[in-house]
Amino acid sequence: MNDLFLDKLQAARLKERPLLMTHFVAGYPAMAESRVLAEALAAAGADILECQLPFSDPLADGPSIMQANQQALDNGSTPKSGFALLDGLSARTGCPLIIMSYVNIAYRMGWEKFALACKKAGAYGLLMPDLPLDEGGAEFQDLLAAQGVHLLPVVSPGMEDERLALVLRKARGFIYATLRSGVTGARSGLESSSLDFLRRIHQHSTLPVAAGFGISDKVQIDSLQGLADIVVIGSHLLDLYRTSGLTAVQRFVRSLQS
Amino acid sequence: MNRATQAFYYGPYGGRFVPEMFGPALRELDAAWRKYRKDPVFRKDLNNLLHNYAGRPTPLLKADRFAELIGCNNVFLKLEGLAHTGAHKINNALGQALLAKMMGKTRIVAETGAGQHGVASAAAAARLGLHCTVFMGEVDMRRQYPNVYNMRRMGAEVIAVQEGSRTLKDAVSAALKYWAGNLQDTHYLLGSALGPHPYPRIVRELQSVIGREVRRQLGVYGFSAPQLLLACVGGGSNALGLFSPFLPDPDVRCVGVEAGGSGPEQGRNAIRFGGNGRTGIAQGFKSVFLQDQYGNLAATHSVSAGLDYAGVSPELAWLKERGRVQFCSADDRSALAAYDTLSRSEGIIPALESSHAVAAALAMAGTLHPDTVMVINISGRGDKDIFITAPHFEEKAWKDYLLSEAAREGRNE
Ligand SMILES: Cc1ncc(COP(=O)(O)O)c(C=O)c1O
Repeated sequence: MNDLFLDKLQAARLKERPLLMTHFVAGYPAMAESRVLAEALAAAGADILECQLPFSDPLADGPSIMQANQQALDNGSTPKSGFALLDGLSARTGCPLIIMSYVNIAYRMGWEKFALACKKAGAYGLLMPDLPLDEGGAEFQDLLAAQGVHLLPVVSPGMEDERLALVLRKARGFIYATLRSGVTGARSGLESSSLDFLRRIHQHSTLPVAAGFGISDKVQIDSLQGLADIVVIGSHLLDLYRTSGLTAVQRFVRSLQS
Repeated sequence: MNRATQAFYYGPYGGRFVPEMFGPALRELDAAWRKYRKDPVFRKDLNNLLHNYAGRPTPLLKADRFAELIGCNNVFLKLEGLAHTGAHKINNALGQALLAKMMGKTRIVAETGAGQHGVASAAAAARLGLHCTVFMGEVDMRRQYPNVYNMRRMGAEVIAVQEGSRTLKDAVSAALKYWAGNLQDTHYLLGSALGPHPYPRIVRELQSVIGREVRRQLGVYGFSAPQLLLACVGGGSNALGLFSPFLPDPDVRCVGVEAGGSGPEQGRNAIRFGGNGRTGIAQGFKSVFLQDQYGNLAATHSVSAGLDYAGVSPELAWLKERGRVQFCSADDRSALAAYDTLSRSEGIIPALESSHAVAAALAMAGTLHPDTVMVINISGRGDKDIFITAPHFEEKAWKDYLLSEAAREGRNE
């Protein structure tokens, strides 16, 4: 797992372009279609696949992703069927896999069982934004590490320097930086405070940084050059998928690499 | 949990399970609360507001006609419904709005279920010159129209929450998310004794004025302490407000009453402490939640919008585990019957939430020693529930009235 991610990172750094991490929800719009979507994203040139295991009350997500979570659950998506969907996906597509979910899903399944499932799914890392390090996150990080999976920190611009340093000191894998405080959702433009925040992160850590929340076009991505190794596109892809379908999603992902 | 976060917990429950982006605001709030809670200016201003604005102390009524029905001589009703805006919620809303003002915030955001907390927040905000935004599930807005109207009249912006079950838990999520995008100038005025630390502590402390008054008022009646306390439990704020000053005294039996809804099956009630509730982590805290086998919060039902919540105060979860607070439930039907009984026996129309506590008292009829000193928290008054109670008790008259009003509106256009 490690090698796949590090190889991609190195190649991207040589080309001076960021890795593209694309988000999808397991079971949205239905289980079979989400597999098709994931593979189509990879085929169109996405570098990293981020799969969200749906939860009823996703605290960090805006309307687009929330609605996808709800629909996936209504369609019977479970952690088990989500993990089954991911089985072999990373190897098949050549894309490192990141799993994202909320703490109650892992808590209910059992920490060890969840960690093991992440490893079996071939995940490079796990994003669990509502599990802070000092609320059991550190212990879960160790459990995951024993399976070769990183618990990736999610950090935000308002964080005090002291807190940021504390969280980043324990960070492994890469750092997920939200470009603003608030929830996911497509926006245009980037505020200078977002770029300042990325600079602040680099003062605390040498790990690769993924930037997400509100990214929807190439101009934004270009302005992250040199500040983020990975750019994350979530809500915008969902919106596009909903309004214009799979080929529009693929066309968009391709257009980002020109 | 580690040493740094130990203060966030009640036994294994509580904590601060939120994305890091909420951390700065919660730490700021925690620091402000610790700074001001004993501050003489804050205390003086709050007491002033509670007395002159909210109308505290609320009466403790010896309810003799009602008492006869349960075969006890000493039944007291704590009339929180007589507080301004009609429920105990104003105690917390004034305290937090004042705190927000001292922190230099200019706006508050709140969630509401029954609308009582929304109304209390709107009033507190208007009184203190703060801008107020209230998130309310679309389903609840329909059930509690009078409160929606009153919030708007007091200048609050009421936003309908369309996500999920469109009830209280979705309003909590929506308010938290709005807050996350507006942390600089906004305080999140959470309405019950739950959520991420420090909310459970702040709300419990601000509501404990209920229990402190009860102790004093019982003294006037010649009783040093109650033997039995009854309160309905949505999130847990009116219950903890009544119980908390008495918790150190093991001879005071505390009973929380949950919403039994329309049946025992998952989805038909809001009984967290029955067979269906499980420990979980959601909406920023660890507690007992109604959830499916995978950890998704479950749908709940109650005739009262304010008890219709999948989670519960982490402190109550711990008090239950320790056996210090007991729980029972009252279903929709018995709550409506209790509403009727109290209205007729004492001329007090209780909120449907509070009616659950009344129903539990009625269910104890004949089982208690006649001299038991019992206090029931009438957490709110029932005016707001007219769209639920009127069709239940006077279906035809209510329908005729609505139709004639609609026709009159039509003619006037
Ligand atoms: C009158 C009344 N009582 C009780 C409740 C339940 O909340 P809590 O358990 O926090 O007191 C509500 C909530 O809206 C309410 O309006």
